[in-house]
Amino acid sequence: MKKLILAGLMSACSFSAFAGVTVIVNTGNANTIDQDEIKKIYLGKSKSFADGVKVNPVNQNGNSITDEFNDKVIGKSSSQLNAYWSKLVFTGKGTPPEKLDNDQAVINFVSSNADAIGYIDSSKVSDAVKVIATF
Amino acid sequence: MKKLPLAIALCAVCASASSFAEVRINGFASIVGGKTLDDNTSRYGYDNDISFKNESVFALQLSADLQDKLSATAQIVARGENDFDAEFEWAYLTYEFTDELQLSAGKMRVPFYRYSDFLDVGYAYRWVRPPQSVYSIPFSTYEGLSLLHTSQIGDWDSTLQVIYGGFDGDIVAVTNNDEAKLNDIAGVNWTLSYDWFSVRAAYLVAETSINLSNGEAGGQAINGLEQLLRDNGLITQADDIAINEDDGTFIGVGFSIDYNNILFDAEYTQFEVEKSILAKQSQYYASIGYRMDEWIIHFTYEDNDDKHDKSRFDQVTQVPPLNNGINQALNGVRAQSDVYTIGTRYDFHSSAALKVDFSRFNDDISDTETDVIAVAVDLVF
Repeated sequence: MKKLILAGLMSACSFSAFAGVTVIVNTGNANTIDQDEIKKIYLGKSKSFADGVKVNPVNQNGNSITDEFNDKVIGKSSSQLNAYWSKLVFTGKGTPPEKLDNDQAVINFVSSNADAIGYIDSSKVSDAVKVIATF
Repeated sequence: MKKLPLAIALCAVCASASSFAEVRINGFASIVGGKTLDDNTSRYGYDNDISFKNESVFALQLSADLQDKLSATAQIVARGENDFDAEFEWAYLTYEFTDELQLSAGKMRVPFYRYSDFLDVGYAYRWVRPPQSVYSIPFSTYEGLSLLHTSQIGDWDSTLQVIYGGFDGDIVAVTNNDEAKLNDIAGVNWTLSYDWFSVRAAYLVAETSINLSNGEAGGQAINGLEQLLRDNGLITQADDIAINEDDGTFIGVGFSIDYNNILFDAEYTQFEVEKSILAKQSQYYASIGYRMDEWIIHFTYEDNDDKHDKSRFDQVTQVPPLNNGINQALNGVRAQSDVYTIGTRYDFHSSAALKVDFSRFNDDISDTETDVIAVAVDLVF
């Protein structure tokens, strides 16, 4: 019983702390993209969508939604991700996704680029983009 | 006065470059302070006086995306041990045939070890310095080609690299200033990784020539012995001392685990230049670490063993003085040592880490022990 209450409390806490993170693509993008694929795209392991179009992912610039995305979707802390990318960047094996300043900048980028993928605060979702997953 | 035209030229290059290439600047730095804990001892370039220079590194990387699958990358590294003189350590062009296949040409890092490619990027690993018993080959770059193939085999990521090229430059082999020339460096390495587990194997060969400097007693003695053998008509024995167009072979295997905050790394390497004074070397390390949020604590054991096969000894027993000379020279390059390191890494910032390592180096030949402590701040930007 006690455990149940505790679990309930914890989920309530996490809900209040995080509004959720939503992964978005261009409205013209018809590919099926699951969490594993999103992870691969953001770790530079997948470079194209299933239909062969080169993927153009964007990050956000070190804000709380970035931390939430890294934690929930990628499963790494920002330090671990920095270490991961430094191994690729300084050996010519890859470059991390570019960083945009906020949710609106990501929505603008994704709505105007057919090959784009991004993530935003779930409460900011608009019709200009297509939602593929919410975490 | 002279600087002005250069500045103008640079501006012109930048201006014209920006019109068709996107130039990305990244960098990394390590500021390391360290010392040995006893008088009259030295190790990893430190002695009993604290030095902030010896292992400190500052580097900038410029990469230009030239469109149409072509990119150019240069890494300029300034090392404290070279008075922070900036040098190009990487400079190469890359052509991407497909998402999976890319070819690079230029000056790059020789992929001997698991951490070779980012040896200088302290931020990428947990130690102040990767285990030196294994990371001991005295040169790290080559000029040539590298073909890189990345793919996914089920749930595994595969990275296969094939290289070809050459190296010439001054290295520390027997003395501090030996002239090395390696031709036809050819190698292949393959890394397979699955989420928390990664395994790697590497094999390289090279035609190796090293001119030992007469400026130090060790080099002079070996060069003298070689000449003496030659003068006495013992050509085979002289050739077996000289490092002249001899076959060099390197083998390395390793794996690493990062599972539920438990970290484990191990590598084993073997290196040999046949028919030369250089001893056959075998080394390994095993390292365990534990991550608690921003902190990692780790413990590492390293072992190094350099020796010649028994068959190399007592080759000219009919001429005892020369026989003795050869035996002495072969024994002179013998080395046996182990190192214990305990350390910690603290990620105090999302792109900077503070590290402290304490290492105890045991030389089994001279039966001496050297303790080294080093504190580092590593960052990437």
